[in-house]
Amino acid sequence: MPSTGRRQGARGRGLSLRRSRTARPAARSGPAGSGLPRQASRERDLARVRTASLLRLRIGFLLIAMVVSIFGARLLQLQGLDAAAYAAKAREVGAVQQILPATRGTITDRNGEPLAESLDGMMIVADPTKTKDDAAEIASVLEERLGIDYIDAVRNLSWPDPSVHFRYIARRIPSTKATDVVADLTELGYKGLDTERDPLRSYPAKDVGANLVGWINDAGNGADGAELLFSKLLAGKDGSATYDIGGGNRIPLGDNSVTDPVDGRDVALTIDRDVQWYTQRILRQTIEDVGAESGAAVVMDTQTGQLLSLADYPTFDPNGVTGAIDERLLGSRALREVYEPGSVEKVLTMGALLDAGRVTPRTRLTVPGQLTSSGMPINDHWEHGTIPLTLTGVLAKSSNIGTVLAARQLPPTQLSRYLTGFGLGKRTGLEGYGEQPGILAPASSWSPIVRDNIAFGQGVAVNVAQMAAAVNTIANGGVYVAPSLVLGSADTEFGPQGSDHAETREVISPEAAQQVTKMMEMVTDEDEGTAPLAKVAGYRVAGKTGTAQVAENGSYSAEKFVISFAGFAPADDPRFTVYIVIHNPQGDVGGGGTAGPAFRKIMSYLLQRYAVPPSGKASPQLPIAWQAGERRRQ
Amino acid sequence: MAQSRTRLPRLAETAVERARLTLVPRPRHQAPRMPFLAFVALVMLTGVIGLLVFNTHMQQASFKATTLETRATALHAQEQALRMELDTLRDPQRVAQRARSLGMVPVANPAFLKLEDGSTLGNAVPATAADAQRLTPLPTRRPASLMPAAPTVTPDDLVDGAPSER
Repeated sequence: MPSTGRRQGARGRGLSLRRSRTARPAARSGPAGSGLPRQASRERDLARVRTASLLRLRIGFLLIAMVVSIFGARLLQLQGLDAAAYAAKAREVGAVQQILPATRGTITDRNGEPLAESLDGMMIVADPTKTKDDAAEIASVLEERLGIDYIDAVRNLSWPDPSVHFRYIARRIPSTKATDVVADLTELGYKGLDTERDPLRSYPAKDVGANLVGWINDAGNGADGAELLFSKLLAGKDGSATYDIGGGNRIPLGDNSVTDPVDGRDVALTIDRDVQWYTQRILRQTIEDVGAESGAAVVMDTQTGQLLSLADYPTFDPNGVTGAIDERLLGSRALREVYEPGSVEKVLTMGALLDAGRVTPRTRLTVPGQLTSSGMPINDHWEHGTIPLTLTGVLAKSSNIGTVLAARQLPPTQLSRYLTGFGLGKRTGLEGYGEQPGILAPASSWSPIVRDNIAFGQGVAVNVAQMAAAVNTIANGGVYVAPSLVLGSADTEFGPQGSDHAETREVISPEAAQQVTKMMEMVTDEDEGTAPLAKVAGYRVAGKTGTAQVAENGSYSAEKFVISFAGFAPADDPRFTVYIVIHNPQGDVGGGGTAGPAFRKIMSYLLQRYAVPPSGKASPQLPIAWQAGERRRQ
Repeated sequence: MAQSRTRLPRLAETAVERARLTLVPRPRHQAPRMPFLAFVALVMLTGVIGLLVFNTHMQQASFKATTLETRATALHAQEQALRMELDTLRDPQRVAQRARSLGMVPVANPAFLKLEDGSTLGNAVPATAADAQRLTPLPTRRPASLMPAAPTVTPDDLVDGAPSER
């Protein structure tokens, strides 16, 4: 600082801050007094100033050096010697690391109605050592407010083992509820309760579409259905935040790093929630009324192949899947279980025969009361002698014998090729639901009896969606559309899925499909058909009943049946294909009387919901029987 | 120097004294010190006060951020709870049950009214009670093992002296 001191010597004055010269005018030192003593004093002054300022400088530097070395030592201690310990301590004191949970995507129906959505949930946990004394009071409040089981709550709140400081009391409670309850209890003076994050998955429509939507296990991962299939898309990516906290507030300019979470994507199914609900209710009522074991129903959009509903019964409520639930209920049995379709398959045989040009709807057949095939008798479901039926009559009355007689005109390889074209024996491509491909033996292995059986739907096995798609081929003018459950497109481990990827292929000619449709309209004919109850008044409805015996231990059971009905409407411009299957009904019931009415209810609902007006045209009345002597018209 | 000076006549001494050349000190324009000091003080003061204000402001903002975040979380949870409630209310099962309690049944025969000429399409038949749809599952029957047979009492079972109930 006093570096100017030496130059100041000329005026004999050391620079001192205390003696400010600015106060006085800067007068030149005039020739006052003798020069000599002044000169000497000046020298002396100068020296004094020099030594003083030097001393001061040194002391200053020394002080600074001391302070700086204290800092340096401390720095060395902090950074060099026990850095790790200090860093740990700092983290312990202030830094908070927080997981920023990604929100799991919503599973919606085709109209955006939520079938599964995520909510911020909380779990309520307790420290039994603190809650032991008030267990009964706390439990009664919890039961009243959250509806959790009183006995369980008391057991957990007064856990006997004193080393246990953590028990789950309630899980997956909406966070507002949980925090409110715990706050109220704390206010009442009960200690030892706390809340923790516990993501909550809600299925607002409960059992509607449960077998397709799936459910979430305790770890928060998809456990079945769409939840499992699209878990990658739905899950998103958790983020994290680290920041310093002081007194509950972030310290500004403190360490602070945030990785934002990436929320999961939403997935839309082709299901229409309301149609699915209605289908499930109709299915349940139908199954209950005939005391059946189980069943399935499917609604397919004829032109796009999108499944508007795929219902299973019995089913479950995904909101509370516990270990006690029967494993078999959880998946989509409509896809996982195969059965013999029975007479519904006759429409495929007819389609093949007509497309091959072997028959026409008016082809005359003389149907005996019984037919022998490789020594085995083939019977019809009703007693009759030898009757003259047209091909239409064979289908309308569902005659096995007539179907076999017609089908024998087609070589096995050709029939097999048609059935494969209709999608039998291979998966429809609804990946991820554990779909079973069903059974269609290669044509080379067909014995005559196998071929005859396959013609009327025994000896082949299908799943519900597979059969619906096959019948839908007839509805769609002979063009097969693969069924889809995902609207648009979504990536899965099996590759992209969804209605954008539905493959189509022509199986039979549009003319043949048209002819089969007209024949199927006779099935719902009041006088001649097997299922007049399936008719929707005012509309043209095409359908086919099915009653198949269930194969057990290598032979067909006498009391176990699968009854079914498949159909589409309006027959003159098909919009929906509906297929209902009921397993093991009690008593003597057939496809027409039981599944038919269910079909009618579902179809009525669909036509009204999607505003499909009837064309107003009457069904063409194809002849059912023929008489000798009348002229054959092809 | 001092000796030669003493030899000079006394008269000249003053002249010599006068004529002696001395080094003219370089004129130094010393800037007045006060304003400078005031300026330095002002800068330092401004800095200190500025830092203080800035820090306080940051703290305030941090408090505010915390309260706002807490509020946002609460509101988010509230919104979710409300949405959940709405979903419950819009559940097709509930809507159907409410509709049925009003005496409605599902459509039996869809029919359409053409606005252009007033004609109807389809069979406009009113639905009847037979079209009603069961919305809830049938109650499950209790297995026989849980149905104890009704106890029967014969006169022999009555202990003597027990009041026979008539």
